[in-house]
Amino acid sequence: MKFAEFIVSPILAFIIGVFLMGLSRRIMARIHRRYGPPLMQPVIDMIKLFSQKTISHGPIFDAGVILSLAGTIVLVLFIPFGGMCPLRTSGGLLVILYIMLFAPLGLALSGGEGANPNISIGISRKFILSLGYEVPFILIMLSVMTYYHTISAVDVVKAQSAFHWAIFSVPLFLPGLAYILIIPAMLGIRPFDLASAPQEISSGPMAEYGGKYLALAEIEHAFAIFITIGLFVDMFLGGSSNVFYFFLKVLVVFVIGLLINAVFPRFRTEQAVKFLWKWPSVMALAGLIIVLAI
Amino acid sequence: MDRNNLIKWLKEPKKMGNKYSLWAVYFSTACGVIEVPPVLTSRWDAERFGVIPVATPRQANLFLITGYVTTKTLKAIIRTYEQMAEPKYTIGFGSCPINGGMYWDSYNTIKHLDKFIPVDGWIAGCMPRPEAIFIGVTKLWGMIDKGLATGYIRYREHYDYYRGNQERLFGSMEWPPLYSLKEGTHDE
Repeated sequence: MKFAEFIVSPILAFIIGVFLMGLSRRIMARIHRRYGPPLMQPVIDMIKLFSQKTISHGPIFDAGVILSLAGTIVLVLFIPFGGMCPLRTSGGLLVILYIMLFAPLGLALSGGEGANPNISIGISRKFILSLGYEVPFILIMLSVMTYYHTISAVDVVKAQSAFHWAIFSVPLFLPGLAYILIIPAMLGIRPFDLASAPQEISSGPMAEYGGKYLALAEIEHAFAIFITIGLFVDMFLGGSSNVFYFFLKVLVVFVIGLLINAVFPRFRTEQAVKFLWKWPSVMALAGLIIVLAI
Repeated sequence: MDRNNLIKWLKEPKKMGNKYSLWAVYFSTACGVIEVPPVLTSRWDAERFGVIPVATPRQANLFLITGYVTTKTLKAIIRTYEQMAEPKYTIGFGSCPINGGMYWDSYNTIKHLDKFIPVDGWIAGCMPRPEAIFIGVTKLWGMIDKGLATGYIRYREHYDYYRGNQERLFGSMEWPPLYSLKEGTHDE
């Protein structure tokens, strides 16, 4: 049973992530009053990308993509969902904080080998953006860990059982709201898609990816969607020991983020950092102070 | 459309994947590109057939040459085409890439695009309507199905011919050949 979790939980996470990617294109199309592609379109794209002849720019170019994907898959093993959490005894939320940086680091490594000026601009924007959202993210994590007196994600979920959801408790309401505000920045969707802006810097870090590399990057994105929103569901919406209910909670949060994505234009780099260091950071800090005061 | 035909997916996933996921490189050579935004956005919505625009040639597998091709643009077209991942498909859009169109006696436009890069199909007209792009894509599906959309293979096999034409037009080429050339048929 314990060993099976290591295989089952990444597969389930991948299926949920790919479904959400397909659904996002569908919902975006309906908001634009279009019909939209079929739900399976991301899978079709991946099949095509894996079948293409691919050009590599060197060993680091390959290794960076794999590092980024591997870091993300390892991260899934730390997220408790549906009663599964394969690495429940190994550091919990603190480790998640560290491993979350693997994906942008891997992309930066491989982008550097690509030697395309658009990649360099995209990478620098990506890191400035992560500097922006890491500050509120750490404050949010600190307030949750302080309030529940634990660093284990499983214990946080357990403490919220029987509808004692953190987002409805007075001290953790503000950090929860701050997390909702930084979800678009963590996923790199509008209004925070400045790192991969196709119209400005031709997809930024993805500029030299084609074929299999792009497919791996898409898979990484599917996992990233699951992790970012799954962590929110675990910390603030009480997680779930049932995979289906967990999926429903993730779906609701994802659709809210998607509605923001559909109607807002893109921030400039300094506007994004200004926003992230102002509203989510102040909210998270206020939440942390309230938690410490109680 | 046989996108939901599961048996066909299992039999030849490569072909089906290429059919229903055509990513067009967003590169406008001339006036013809005015017909492309309505195709991609709300009015005609090409995304329901899996056709989306991408910003870089590395990710694309469909190349629409929209309108007349000047000598200067042709350089960028060849470089873009050579960077695209195989299998890749080219469509000449409008009369001008076919035979020069209204630029038939112009000194700095090329008259026959298929002398310089292989073209899988043409959409004639000046301008073709956006619906014509859909008809073109449907025809391309049929060609991929029957294995006739082999432009990229022709480019590899007859690279001497294409490179020779390119060298004759430009005088000197600023980038090395993509495939190996036969001895003695080229300058340098």
